[in-house]
Amino acid sequence: MIKLDIFRFDEAADEVPHRDVVEVDVPETTTVLDALEEAKATVDGSISFRRSCRSAICGSCSMNINGVTGLACKTPCNTVMDESGTIHIDPMPNFQPMRDLVVHMDPFWDKYTRLKPYLQPADKDEDHERERRVSPEDMKKLVDVANCIMCATCYALCPVVSVDPAFAGPAAIAYAYRFIEDVRDGERSERLAQINEDYLWLCAHCYACSYCPKHVDPHWRIVDVKRATINDRVMMNERGPRHALTVNKTVKQTGMLAETELIIGTIGRFNIRGLLKTVPLGLRMAAKGKMPPPFIKPIPKVDEIRTIFESLEVPVG
Amino acid sequence: MSTTLLPEEQPKNLHRRSKSAETKRYGFFPGCVAKESCKELFNSTMLLADKLGIELIELTAASCCGASVVNDTNRDIARVLNARTYAQAEALGLDDVITICSTCTGHMRAANKELLDSEERMNHANAILGKFGARYGGNVMVRHLLWLLIDDIGLDNLRNMVVRPLNGLKVAPFYGCHIIRPESVNGWESARNPHSLEDLVEALGGEAVDYAGKTRCCGFHIQLEKDGVAASMVGQNMRMAKDKGAEAVITPCPLCHLALDGYQQDAASRWGRTDLPTFHLPQLVAYALGVPAEKLGLNHHLIDPRPIMVERDLIA
Repeated sequence: MIKLDIFRFDEAADEVPHRDVVEVDVPETTTVLDALEEAKATVDGSISFRRSCRSAICGSCSMNINGVTGLACKTPCNTVMDESGTIHIDPMPNFQPMRDLVVHMDPFWDKYTRLKPYLQPADKDEDHERERRVSPEDMKKLVDVANCIMCATCYALCPVVSVDPAFAGPAAIAYAYRFIEDVRDGERSERLAQINEDYLWLCAHCYACSYCPKHVDPHWRIVDVKRATINDRVMMNERGPRHALTVNKTVKQTGMLAETELIIGTIGRFNIRGLLKTVPLGLRMAAKGKMPPPFIKPIPKVDEIRTIFESLEVPVG
Repeated sequence: MSTTLLPEEQPKNLHRRSKSAETKRYGFFPGCVAKESCKELFNSTMLLADKLGIELIELTAASCCGASVVNDTNRDIARVLNARTYAQAEALGLDDVITICSTCTGHMRAANKELLDSEERMNHANAILGKFGARYGGNVMVRHLLWLLIDDIGLDNLRNMVVRPLNGLKVAPFYGCHIIRPESVNGWESARNPHSLEDLVEALGGEAVDYAGKTRCCGFHIQLEKDGVAASMVGQNMRMAKDKGAEAVITPCPLCHLALDGYQQDAASRWGRTDLPTFHLPQLVAYALGVPAEKLGLNHHLIDPRPIMVERDLIA
């Protein structure tokens, strides 16, 4: 017997959620989704959850299983149940629950549709009879991202989304990459500007999205979009690109990441209001003798660092 | 919870028994922040090494690891910068490079994995290192001090070395993303349910506090990006720890330390006051092993850990 400890809530009727523990007689190797189906069929028909394909293709059944978000159809019970045979199931975090394990997906879809997730060829007003060919090398870059099934697991796992819903989130940025790097697309710079406005640079490099059930690995596509932003010189006066370029500059000059220079370089030497905002924390740190030095002494043999940079730097623009 | 990696995802040649573990001589990469705003981390690491009877040989000419940001503009540069550091360790006859920062650990291991996985990338890196007479032979392993403590010293030995147990101090671990994720690069313990810091806290006589925030992000890397976001991430995590009864936090990462120590005050408006002092990993271990508390730089923390230590009869 497997015990499913399920989050229960009906937004139309309930003030607060409660939990039901439901026992089902299924083999331990059953997937969590099949155990839920069994519970719905034999114990309580009102248990609500989304599902369709049952084989990690449709992306419907992402939920929180023992505190870990993932596809219920891809998670065997015996990998997640505790000694008492219990599995705790909750709706995806970072979403508003609608009913039991079903959540309001609208914020996720809104961020996705904002990016115009369809091809916009440069020659869209011309002859439509001609096919638009892509070389296998150009296509290779897009294949991984095209595997995204929009299950929103990465969005639910993202710690930035959890405190600031303005952030586009991993899936939307990965999908932006899919069109930014498509050689047939004619809206590259508009797309880059849009994703920068949707806080591309708020990605905190935490790799929580590395748990993508389809191995899309949005983190590295976010890095690619940042690099495209810098290469194309889009919105270069924003904090994200300035931060990245200042890190590079201080490492190239001193071999070290110079904390003081980084703060000034990111916020902007002439952005007095922005710099003033850092003063209270700066003073608190100074009072404890915790201020980074204003200048960094270059490391020994720093010319080697410059050789590395000069050998590998790609001219920007 | 099972997080077993598929065979092809197992970190290749990134975990092995090292020569350094036998000779007790390790290459030491302190990273930028331990030399700048967290000097107390550097000092307490050296004091701890003395207590443990190991020699940490600082790679004084090493550069920044790239700190996840050099990757944003040029991954090749980040990789070759680290190859240069490994070459320095090899030239000194050292095969372990010990870090004291989660971000250094993750990014140096990622660079090493890229080099070890591909002869082409290794040759490319060596062609550049060759311009100044350096060469990386692929024999270095990057490890965090936390792993050294558990693998090379051992929890049982540590338990026997404790002269000042933590008297049940309730300590919440905060791992820092890059020491656990991605698992294909780190893979030393489960990234979803790690317990090395818990084990360590218990070995020192403290009580480890389990909470959902322990593997989450501190927001350090976006602290300058948009006002209030990083602070809120700190507040959210510290709220969870505080609600589970934590009296202090321990972290193996100085970047997490800076964020947790610096931003709890700013996060109080949204998450309520938490005021949890944040120990650097070596501070708490060194204290328990008998290093005088006044040598650990506790006075440099924004949230002073000494009042709770007095309350727990750890210091007078």
